[in-house]
Amino acid sequence: MKFVFRKSYLVPLVIALLALSAFAQEDPNPDSPTPSLLSSHDRTRILAVNTRGWDGGIPSTGTAAFRPSATNSVTVFVSNLDLMSSEGVNSIQVYLTQRSGKVFELQTEQLIEVAKNVHALQFRIYDPAGYRGQPVPDGDSLINITWRGLTSNSLKIGIGSTGGGIKLPTASDIAPSGKRNQSAELVGYQYAGDRVRFLEQAAFGPSSSEDLRIRRIGLRTWLADQFDKPYPTFAYPNPAQMPTAPPANCSLTTNPTCYRENYTMIPLQKWFFTEAFYGNSQLRHKTAWALGEILVTSGVAIQQSSHAIAYHKILSEGAFGNYRQLLGNVTLSPTMGQYLDMARSTKSNPNENYPREILQLFSIGLFMLNQDGTQQLDQQGHAIDSYNQANINELSKVFTGWTFCNFTCANSGNGIINYKDPMVLVPGNHDLGAKTLLNYPGAQNTVIPACASCSSDEEIKDYANNSLQQALNNIFNHPNVGPFIGKLLIQHLVTSDPSPAYVGRVAAVFNDNGSGVRGDLKSVIKTILLDPEARGNIKTAPRYGKLREPVQLITGLGRIFPAKDYFGEIRSEGAMASYAANLGQDPFNSPTVFNYFSAQFIVPGTSILAPEFDLMNTGNAIKRTNFLHTLIFEGLAANATDSLRGTSLDVSEFIPAAQADPTGNQLLDLLNVRMMHGAMVQAQKDAILTAIQAVPENNPTLRTRTAIYLIAASSQYQIQR
Amino acid sequence: MKQTRRDFLRNTGCGLTMTAMATQLQHFGMLNTMAQKAGSKFGSAVPSDYRALVCIFMFGGNDGNNTVIPNHSDANVSGYPAYAAGRSAQGLALAQNTLLPVSVPRIGGLSYGLHPGFGTVTGGINPGLHPLWAQGKMGVVTNVGPLVRPLTRAEYQNNPDWRPRQLFSHSDQTNAHQSARADVVMLSGWGGRISDRTTISANPDRLVPTVSSLGGARLFTVGENTQPVSLGAAPTPLSGILALTGYNGTPVANARLAALETQLDIEQGHDLVHASNEVHREAIRISRSLNDTVEVTVAFPNTELGNQLKQVARMIKARNTLHMNRQIFFCSIDGFDTHTGQIAGQGALLGRMSQAMRSFYDEMTAQGLADKVTQFTMTDFNRTFNPGGSGTNVGSDHAWANHQFIVGGGVLGGDFYGMNTSNGTPFPTLVQNGPDDADSGVARGRWIPTTSVEQYAGTLASWYGLEAADMPFVFPNMVNFPMMNLGFMAS
Repeated sequence: MKFVFRKSYLVPLVIALLALSAFAQEDPNPDSPTPSLLSSHDRTRILAVNTRGWDGGIPSTGTAAFRPSATNSVTVFVSNLDLMSSEGVNSIQVYLTQRSGKVFELQTEQLIEVAKNVHALQFRIYDPAGYRGQPVPDGDSLINITWRGLTSNSLKIGIGSTGGGIKLPTASDIAPSGKRNQSAELVGYQYAGDRVRFLEQAAFGPSSSEDLRIRRIGLRTWLADQFDKPYPTFAYPNPAQMPTAPPANCSLTTNPTCYRENYTMIPLQKWFFTEAFYGNSQLRHKTAWALGEILVTSGVAIQQSSHAIAYHKILSEGAFGNYRQLLGNVTLSPTMGQYLDMARSTKSNPNENYPREILQLFSIGLFMLNQDGTQQLDQQGHAIDSYNQANINELSKVFTGWTFCNFTCANSGNGIINYKDPMVLVPGNHDLGAKTLLNYPGAQNTVIPACASCSSDEEIKDYANNSLQQALNNIFNHPNVGPFIGKLLIQHLVTSDPSPAYVGRVAAVFNDNGSGVRGDLKSVIKTILLDPEARGNIKTAPRYGKLREPVQLITGLGRIFPAKDYFGEIRSEGAMASYAANLGQDPFNSPTVFNYFSAQFIVPGTSILAPEFDLMNTGNAIKRTNFLHTLIFEGLAANATDSLRGTSLDVSEFIPAAQADPTGNQLLDLLNVRMMHGAMVQAQKDAILTAIQAVPENNPTLRTRTAIYLIAASSQYQIQR
Repeated sequence: MKQTRRDFLRNTGCGLTMTAMATQLQHFGMLNTMAQKAGSKFGSAVPSDYRALVCIFMFGGNDGNNTVIPNHSDANVSGYPAYAAGRSAQGLALAQNTLLPVSVPRIGGLSYGLHPGFGTVTGGINPGLHPLWAQGKMGVVTNVGPLVRPLTRAEYQNNPDWRPRQLFSHSDQTNAHQSARADVVMLSGWGGRISDRTTISANPDRLVPTVSSLGGARLFTVGENTQPVSLGAAPTPLSGILALTGYNGTPVANARLAALETQLDIEQGHDLVHASNEVHREAIRISRSLNDTVEVTVAFPNTELGNQLKQVARMIKARNTLHMNRQIFFCSIDGFDTHTGQIAGQGALLGRMSQAMRSFYDEMTAQGLADKVTQFTMTDFNRTFNPGGSGTNVGSDHAWANHQFIVGGGVLGGDFYGMNTSNGTPFPTLVQNGPDDADSGVARGRWIPTTSVEQYAGTLASWYGLEAADMPFVFPNMVNFPMMNLGFMAS
């Protein structure tokens, strides 16, 4: 895939890149042009005509008012769309804001090039989701479109009639769009704002060392390096598997420290944050975390690190492998077998839990999807179920008979449930009858015949294993998997509500990585992170980005302001889990298989898709602000149970800027680049400067921490965009 | 000077400008309500009494088949032998002599049994919910669940289009219960929508939103114009729930607070930033009212649900200073997805639930509000009558119609409520592949509801004060069902 960018930006780069081509891959200019809606003569009203009467050209005057209708098509005109060959109308989202304050996402139809640099865009004044009703004919409304995370100008459109006094947004209402934040070097990746954004997406936050590294080597080389980087930087803890009861000298009562470090989730949680704060293989750690929020298991079932670590290894080892293989490893994982009960599913009592969730959450979802992730609709306009209870019953039979390898595997031990080795088959518990698999367009081998020659255990094992592989192939090859998993990964890494076109580009690579391979996660991750909707110095679309989940709110700050122990002396030991839990996200202890937050969560009272907002409410909002206050001003004190040395942020890098400039502007400019992609607006700067200046000039540390706290607590920062 | 939201909040109680008034109303999402409708059951007058609904949501899908059990041998209406036949082989049947008997006038005085967790339990601090049956303070709505329209077994099998969407899926059935709508995805819940239509007349001077959630902004609590306040559970005192730390009144701290709040008005038209700012602003606003230090007098169990209900009891005790006449609360207890280990798992959960709900009932009695506050249960779905696994691993899978509990002095308790099943009683026939089973072929016993969530919820809503004219707004599919009020609440 190749991006088409304005060539003028590339000219000075080309020469430098040629010289470096032996080790540096070319990174394009990340900044797409900003789409612009054409207006009628008065410059405030959109140039629009009814599609039915449109002659195919650019009209000189538009129609004043339009009827809201599911059938009525409207044509408007957009300039400045620099489309890739694969980009069609599903790369555009059209929003209508009415006087009531309600915002509707309108149904788009077609995008037609009508002149050089001008496209006709056709849509209906109808919201197909209809979460908040439909547009009403109450006069002038505002229309804007978004493309690649950028918003166009807003213009008036009459709905039913004109008039009504709705105001166009003024310049101060709109995010800055111009500042480029380029550094002087002509090698590597010079876009400072986008480097920070990239490290928020591909890593656990923008550390100055990784930022510098990307500035030198560029995104593609950084990615290539990360794909091959040894992992983990800090060895996985290796706690013993718990016998039926902890040994007498390591129980909660006799030796709580020993118990905690062996038989709770704490070793894994601490290691996770240590690796996130300080690890070198950030992309794999980040991808494994995202996969863990999709292929969910939870310590809520068994509070032991040993089994959760075994599961995490499956995710981290499979992060850049093939999704089919990952799905197989997850299916036979004893941790998953325990969590979703497959380990106890037998032919006389088949369990429906895993079969249901592997379909609903791990592969195809509830509804038939188009390749851009939108729902297919039947002739009545209803979504089409992708499976039914009969499918679950059949799949349940396939999954019968597998259980923990408690006797014959490397980690089998006397009286210990083996949570490390893959599950094995107990032949007598496997259903030998015929099973029917999912039927879908292009489905192959949808019947598993009854076992004809299952007289020995070995024959049954072969049959069961072949059946399992056939069933997983059947699921994996369902056309939903690419858009379903692709969209989830985009949501976890980049933006909560990606355009269908973005989903479609990622799904296409999932379906075929260019070498005929389906499910190649390395190519999928690379595509997600280099997509023009992910990249750019400034993103202006009103719904671009995502709320920082508690874990990443913590890691993001801990990487900009290197996390230290409470005393500022050595590394933090990563005892952050209880703080994240207090904010609604207890790492590795998801409340259910539906993750800490729902992938379908809509912000209450709106139509905004924003999964992480599932954890945002009045109570948690205050907790977030209070946590930031403690972390930034005081540090997290040590305690005798799980955090012997506590955690604090090292802000020393920023204090010289506070010392050098009594107005606080230098400090704020630096923080603006490092925390906010350089996008902080003047109103926020003014507010923070006032607070900085209230702190005595001779206390630059407090001035620095005040500024960091105020930025971190602002919604402008908490929404990663 | 520009009147900001903050200025208004600081000036609450002083003379309000019209702009400020509009801001406040918009905050509570009542502008549309005003426009759509003037007056309600309460007329223009504030209601003279206090009433509250308290939802207890059992996340994961409680196995109702082991919660309300036949304790008789009448084969015509599924007695204990039918129950045991379906469940004892794998070890999921509760022994008959452990059941807590309740007499059911609706079924000719036949005896049914509640799960033993509803009685005295090890480590318990009260007698549990069971004694409230005999006192007429607890009832059960049987075989209730999400429906689009009444549905016989034949209709279920022959008309896929008449079925609720995505039966047996946790997320979808949870939402179907919380939204009271089984055929489409809803972005509002019935608690929130009741508030949409009653708050302006019932709580004109409210200092907090009508709906409080102890479990985040769950669908039940969100209306078209209603947002809940999310409250942390006890032991945090009411005054500490939304308190910002680090502000001690020094000039430095005051300047920081001013900046913090100024930032909450900066949005640049970004929808996610706006959404985040809204939550923060609302939290800070409400925190200025939640400064009461009331305490309950009855002991509550120190469990998740116990601490949630304790906080609810404090809110109710502070109702006068908060100017609340009608309130809706959402609490939850998690862990009911008992595919395995059900005997021990469900037993412990029901014990904890019963203990917490009983403490809350006793506290309401102590506050003189026993008949003014009604607790009711909901859950994802029932579980299959046919067990999964066996022995200590025994559990059950996702199913459909379930039994729900209503507790309070306003409940006409001591009986079953709901529409009759094909056996002529409101209790389902406990036979796989039988007349109430949605399954066929290898049937596992997933009862088809005879009573809809709308009917169950509508009865509670009506008691709360929702007018009949507003029923179609709150429960759009209510028109499909024959009875809007199941009659389990005193008027």
